[in-house]
Amino acid sequence: MASPAPLGELEHLVLLAILRLGPEAYGLSIARELEREAGRALSRGALYTTLDRLEIKGLVRWKSEPGGSERRGLPRRVYAVSAHGLSSVRASQRILNRMWRGLEGVLKEPS
Amino acid sequence: MRATPPRLSTWLLRRVLPPGESGGAILGDLLEELDASGNTAAARRRFVRQAWSIGIRYALGRTPPTRALPTQHGEAMRLDAFTQDLRFAVRGLRKRPSFAAIVLATLGLGIGASTAIFSIVNGILLRPLPYAHADRLVYVSETTRGERASFAYLNYVDYRDRSRSFDGLACHQATSFTVVEDPPRPVDGRLVCWNFFSVLGVQPQLGRSFTAADDQAGAPPVALVSDRLWKQQFGGDPSVVGRTLRTNELTFTIVGVLPEGFRFSRVEDVFAPVGLTVTADSGWLDRGNHFGLYAIGRLKTGATVGYAQTEADHIFADLKRAYPNTNSTNSGRVVRLQDRIVEMIRDTLVALMAAVGFLLLLACVNVANLLVARGAARQHELAVRTALGGTRGRLVRQLLVESTLLSTAGGALGVFVAFWLLELLIALAPPDVPRLHEVSLDRVSLLFAFGAATLCGLVFGAFPAFQASGGGRLHLLARASRTSSVMPHRTRRALMTVEVALALILLAGCGLMARTMAGLHAVNPGFRSDHLLTARFALGGDQWTAEKRLAFFDVVLPKMNALAGIRRAALTYSLPIEGSQWGSVFTVSDKPVPPRAQLPVAAFCPITPRYFETMEIRTLRGRAFDSRDLESSAKVIIVNDALARRMWPGEEAVGKRLKQGWPEGDGPWREVVGIVDDVKLEGVDQDVPMQVFLPITQETPRSVAIVARTSVDPMNVARDLEAALQSINHDVPLTKVQPMTALMSDAIARQRLSLVVLAVFAIVAVLVAAVGLYGVVAHSVTERTREIGVRLALGAEGRQVLGLFVRQGLVTAAVGTIVGLAGAATMTRVLEKLLFGVKPSDPATLGGVALLLLVVAGVACYIPARRAARIDPLAALRAE
Repeated sequence: MASPAPLGELEHLVLLAILRLGPEAYGLSIARELEREAGRALSRGALYTTLDRLEIKGLVRWKSEPGGSERRGLPRRVYAVSAHGLSSVRASQRILNRMWRGLEGVLKEPS
Repeated sequence: MRATPPRLSTWLLRRVLPPGESGGAILGDLLEELDASGNTAAARRRFVRQAWSIGIRYALGRTPPTRALPTQHGEAMRLDAFTQDLRFAVRGLRKRPSFAAIVLATLGLGIGASTAIFSIVNGILLRPLPYAHADRLVYVSETTRGERASFAYLNYVDYRDRSRSFDGLACHQATSFTVVEDPPRPVDGRLVCWNFFSVLGVQPQLGRSFTAADDQAGAPPVALVSDRLWKQQFGGDPSVVGRTLRTNELTFTIVGVLPEGFRFSRVEDVFAPVGLTVTADSGWLDRGNHFGLYAIGRLKTGATVGYAQTEADHIFADLKRAYPNTNSTNSGRVVRLQDRIVEMIRDTLVALMAAVGFLLLLACVNVANLLVARGAARQHELAVRTALGGTRGRLVRQLLVESTLLSTAGGALGVFVAFWLLELLIALAPPDVPRLHEVSLDRVSLLFAFGAATLCGLVFGAFPAFQASGGGRLHLLARASRTSSVMPHRTRRALMTVEVALALILLAGCGLMARTMAGLHAVNPGFRSDHLLTARFALGGDQWTAEKRLAFFDVVLPKMNALAGIRRAALTYSLPIEGSQWGSVFTVSDKPVPPRAQLPVAAFCPITPRYFETMEIRTLRGRAFDSRDLESSAKVIIVNDALARRMWPGEEAVGKRLKQGWPEGDGPWREVVGIVDDVKLEGVDQDVPMQVFLPITQETPRSVAIVARTSVDPMNVARDLEAALQSINHDVPLTKVQPMTALMSDAIARQRLSLVVLAVFAIVAVLVAAVGLYGVVAHSVTERTREIGVRLALGAEGRQVLGLFVRQGLVTAAVGTIVGLAGAATMTRVLEKLLFGVKPSDPATLGGVALLLLVVAGVACYIPARRAARIDPLAALRAE
C-alpha cells in the first residue's frame, strides 16, 4: 500500500475541523470552527480551494443537501472525511507524536 | 428581513465559480453568513472581502501555499511558472541597467514616434467625419478642363433637380461677415442651402434650422450662429433666438444656435441662407459665373459614389448641349466628403506613416540585435539550465517573457513620448490642416501603441528564442566558456544589414525633402518678399457702392503712405502666393477665337498705381498704371510676361487688345500698356499662370489686400496701420495682418513638416545604425582578443588588425547600403507629390546619403577596431 501523501498544515486543520463537526460540516461551519478552535481567520478563498484540493486527493467526500431560504435555496455541501483521509490524518498524527517524543522537557510550558 | 447581497461581488462570483452545484454551495455559504450576521455594514464588507478572495483564487486557479506535493492542476502550474519567468526576467534586467535602458529608449522612441504619427493619421484620415453616417456624405463640384471648379448657381439647381442619387443635396459657399460691434469683428461664415444641416445630420441645440422659405431672395434675413459666437457675444443667453445680429453685410434675425463643436471644414460662426444673395442683378443667375459654390450630398442607401459620378456625367453632358456657351468645358465631380476635406494633407501623412513604419522596424531590428548579442553572452547560462533539466520549450518561453516584458515597458514609455511628440507635431503642422482639432491620443492610438509593442516583442523576441531552441545545449556548455558560436554572429550581421538599409531609406527621404526645401527657398517669386506687410479688408453691404469704395481707397492710400515705417503702399485684389481670386477666360482682338474648350484663361487682378513699385516687380516694357487711368478713361491693362509670350509670341504685346469673358460677351476691349515680370501666384511650387492687371478705378472689388513695403520689421507697423484704417472708417476691420514671409512660409509648411519629421527620424536611424555597427565590431573584437593576440605575437602589424575589423564592419554596411538604395528607389515614391525640383530617384541625393552613411559606418567601425590594433599580445594570451 502506498503511504499516504504528507498533509499540509492547513489541510490537516481542515480535516480535523470536519471530523469535529461531524454531519454539520459544510463551508461556513468549517470556517467558523477553524476560527473558534484554531484561531485561524482563513480567507474563504483559501478554504474552498483547500477543500477542492482535499477532494482531488481523495481525502474528503461530500454530499449535497438542499438549502433553506437563508441560502436563497442554494444547496449546501456537507463534507465528510474519507477512509483515505482518515489514514492520512492518523499518519500525520503518528509523525507528530514521534517527533514530540523526548521533547517534553524542552517544550514544557512554563507553569 | 432577507438581505440583498452586494451586487458586484455576487456578479463576480457567478462569473468565476464553476457553474452548477459546487459554485452554488459556495455562494450559499456566503449568503447564509450575511443573513446570520444581520446584514450589517460590517457583514456586507466581510461578504465583499470574502467574495473577492474567492473570486481571485478561482480566477487565477491558484491554490493556497502548501507544503504538500504540487497537484495535477495544469492551469496553476502554468501560472506559477509564468510568475517565475516574469520575476526572473525583471531580475535579469535589473542586473544590466544599461542594456535595459538602451532597449527601452529605442523602443520608446520607435513606438512613441509611430503612435504620434498614427494618432494624426487616424484623427485626420481614418476616423469618420463627426456627422451621422458620414460614409454616405459626398462632395460635389463642377470641373472645367479637368480642374475642380465651383458650381454656377443655375448648373447647381439643374443638377439638384435631375439627380436621383441623393437623399439630400445642399450647396454652400464660404464667406465672411463683419459683425458690427465695438470694435467691429470679422468672422468667417457660410452661405448655405436651407437643407444643409439636415444633409449633414446636424440639429441646432437651440431654435430651429432653416426652411425653404428662408432660402429665397427677398426673404427676411435669418442666421444660425455657432456655439462660440453665442457664448462670446450673447453670453450664452438661452433667449437668443429672435434677437438681432448686425453685420456690415446684412442684419440677421437669429433663428438658432448650432451645437458645440460643430464644424464644417473650418471654424465658422455665422450661417445664412444662400438664397438671400441670389437676386436678379447679383450675377448669380449667369451660368458663366462660378462664385465658389459647392455642394454636399447624402447618398441614398444603395447608391455609390461611382453611381453618382456616372449620373453627374450624364446631367452635365445634357447641360453642355443645352448651354454650349457657358458649359462646353464643364463636367461634374463626386468624391467622398472625407476625401475632399483631407486631400491637402493626405500625401504628407501617407509619407510620414511610411517613414515611421521604417523607424519602428529599425527599432525592432536594433533591439533584436541587442538581444541576440545578449543571448550569445548568456549561452553558458542557458546551457547550464538545459543540463539541469530545463526543457527547450521552457527556455524559449522564458526568453519570450523577457522580450514581452521589454516591449510592454517600451510601449508604456512610447505612450509618453507620443504624447509629447504629438504636441510638437501639431505645433509644426501647416495652417488650415483639416480636422487637426480632432487629433488626440485616444483609445485607438493607445491600442495602436499596445499593438505595436506586442508586435515588436514578438518580432525581436523571436530571434534569440529561435536561437536558443536550436542546437544541442551540452556541446554549447562545453565551448560557451571559450568562444561563442558563429551563429549569433551571423544573425547579428544580417540584422545589421537590415538596420543600415532602413537607415538609408530614411536618410534618402530626408535628403530629398532637404533638396526640395532648398529648391523652394531658391525659387524667385518675382517680387521682394522681405519687409513686406500684407493685410485684408472688405467693404461689404449695399451701402458701399463702387464710387464710395473708390473714394475710400483714395483716402486710405495716402494715409498709409504717410505712416512712419512704411515706404510705399498699394492695394490689390489678389496676393501673390495666396492665389488668384478671379480666374476668367479671355479673347484677344488680333487672333482667331479658338473653340470654347480651348479659350485661354488668365488670373485677373485689379490694383492701385504703385503696386508693382511696392512689390518690386520688374516692369519689362511699357508703363505702370498712374493717375491718368480713371474709371472714365480708356480701358487699359498690364499683362505678365507669361501671357505676352503665350498670346503674342515674337510680337510686341504693348498696344494689343484683350477682352475678359466669353467671346460673345459685351465687355470692353482693354489695351495692353505694359508688361511685367512673372510672379508666383498660386503657391511657391506651382507654375506661373497668365495674369492680367487692371486699374482698380476701372474694376473695383469689395475685398482688397494691402501691401506695404516697410523700412522696419513689418509687424511693427501693423498696429499703426490698423489704427489708420479705423480712424477713417470705424466699421472696417483689418484681417489677416501678416508679413509676406509668413504667407510664403505657410505655403511650404507641408514640405517643412515632412522635412523636420524625416530629419529627426533619419538622425535617430543613423545613430541607431552606427551604435549597432559599433556594437557588432566591438563584440567581435572582444571575442577574438585571443586570436588578435596570436596574430600580433606572430608579427602582424597593428594596421593590419585595424584593417581587418574596419573591413569586416564596412562590408556589412556596404551590403546594407546597397539593399537600402534598392529599397529607397521604390519607397521614396510615396514622397513624389511633396517633392519640388528633384526626382524621387535623384542619383545625386541617393549617392550623397549613401556616402554619408558609409562614412558614419566607417567611423563607427574604426573606434572599436583601433582598440583591437592596440591589444597587448602578451596580456591577451595570458587572459586565456
